[in-house]
Amino acid sequence: MTSPDLAQARLAELLARAGLGDRKAFAELYTAAAPKLFAVSLRIVRERQLAEEVLQDSFVSIWKHAADYAREKSAPSTWMAAIVRNRSLDVVRRHREEPDVDDVGAANLVDEAAAPDREAEARADGHSLGRCLHELEAEQRQVVALAFFHGLTHSELAAHLRRPLGTVKTHVRRALARLRDCLTRDRAGAQG
Amino acid sequence: MRTLSPDLAHALAAEYVLGTLRGRVRRRFEVIAAADAAVAGILKRWEDALTPLAEGIEPVPPPARVWKAIEARIGPLEGARAPVAPASAFWRAFGMLSGGLAAVLVVAFLGYAPRPAGDPLFVAVVTAPDSSAHMVISMHEPDLLRVRTVKPWSGTEGRSLELWVLPKRGAPRSLGLVSNTPGDTVIRIAPGDPRVRDANALAISLEPPGGSPTQQPTGPVLGSGVIAPSRKT
Repeated sequence: MTSPDLAQARLAELLARAGLGDRKAFAELYTAAAPKLFAVSLRIVRERQLAEEVLQDSFVSIWKHAADYAREKSAPSTWMAAIVRNRSLDVVRRHREEPDVDDVGAANLVDEAAAPDREAEARADGHSLGRCLHELEAEQRQVVALAFFHGLTHSELAAHLRRPLGTVKTHVRRALARLRDCLTRDRAGAQG
Repeated sequence: MRTLSPDLAHALAAEYVLGTLRGRVRRRFEVIAAADAAVAGILKRWEDALTPLAEGIEPVPPPARVWKAIEARIGPLEGARAPVAPASAFWRAFGMLSGGLAAVLVVAFLGYAPRPAGDPLFVAVVTAPDSSAHMVISMHEPDLLRVRTVKPWSGTEGRSLELWVLPKRGAPRSLGLVSNTPGDTVIRIAPGDPRVRDANALAISLEPPGGSPTQQPTGPVLGSGVIAPSRKT
């Protein structure tokens, strides 16, 4: 077992115990997972107070639904990140012409695609997302990163990239279709 | 509901997870995924494919108040709080507030409170000194205490509302923070939880953000209500 596998196994154990009402396990789960999840939300909602509320609501929800986690068969960090991302996307209210984003997320994504590191290894059975992202054209990879890390909508992507809305929508759609093809190819025998 | 083609389901699921599916369309897709196992399966595949990207983000430690607020909402750790002498001002306030009117209101509100998990085991109506009802609190099997705010208190901006059990003897016990907006706060209370043993009444106090720092009520008591068993015998 690599250490990321061990970390995921530990999170899964803590979630299972939290599902049985174990508050100490839940506190440990929070300590282990909250900093990354807070960062995830902060990128999307861009206001500390809002991100704090998202984190609070998400962990109350994780506590309430911890018993359901076992049925999910996802990595615990994925299950929790999905909760935080959905909550962040639900609460974010932005009406800016020019989205205020840095390109750190995009840089991360490119780095990851170029050099799959410990995080990539953490994804069991040779998860090929990094490689598949690398197969995308640069502009496609950029819209994926800006949408995923910064929660940009289609119109915000268009404003940020100074491209027509239709073009941006096409980039997103094609990027995701190519990712689907690539990921499907890599799961030999999996249904399309 | 019309079934989505696999291609359309993939396209929508991917944009849902990516975050570009927003607003009403996002809501509608959630409804479809909840009702259609095939769509739910496709959604899960996209979540498993894209969400691990978040692992690469540089962590940011959240402030301590976030965990404190979470703890307050899910109820304190059993055995974590030391017994403290009753706050006499608190008891005086409670004595002034808990009139016979509360019991009358319980009857009036029984028909009002919805029953998600059958008849409640008990109901308490929290009333202010002017006898207006602000909250209906009901205990549902197996372990859910529902605090329904029917009339928010005013002048509580920037502060937290904390719910207390007033036992027949001894100090008030906190059940955590509750929301002051119309709607429900649900608190999980295990059967046999010592905090609710010999409970006589419930009360709401106004506390600093995040709750009482002393584990006893520190702010003014906004209202209280006696506990009325409602299980039919």
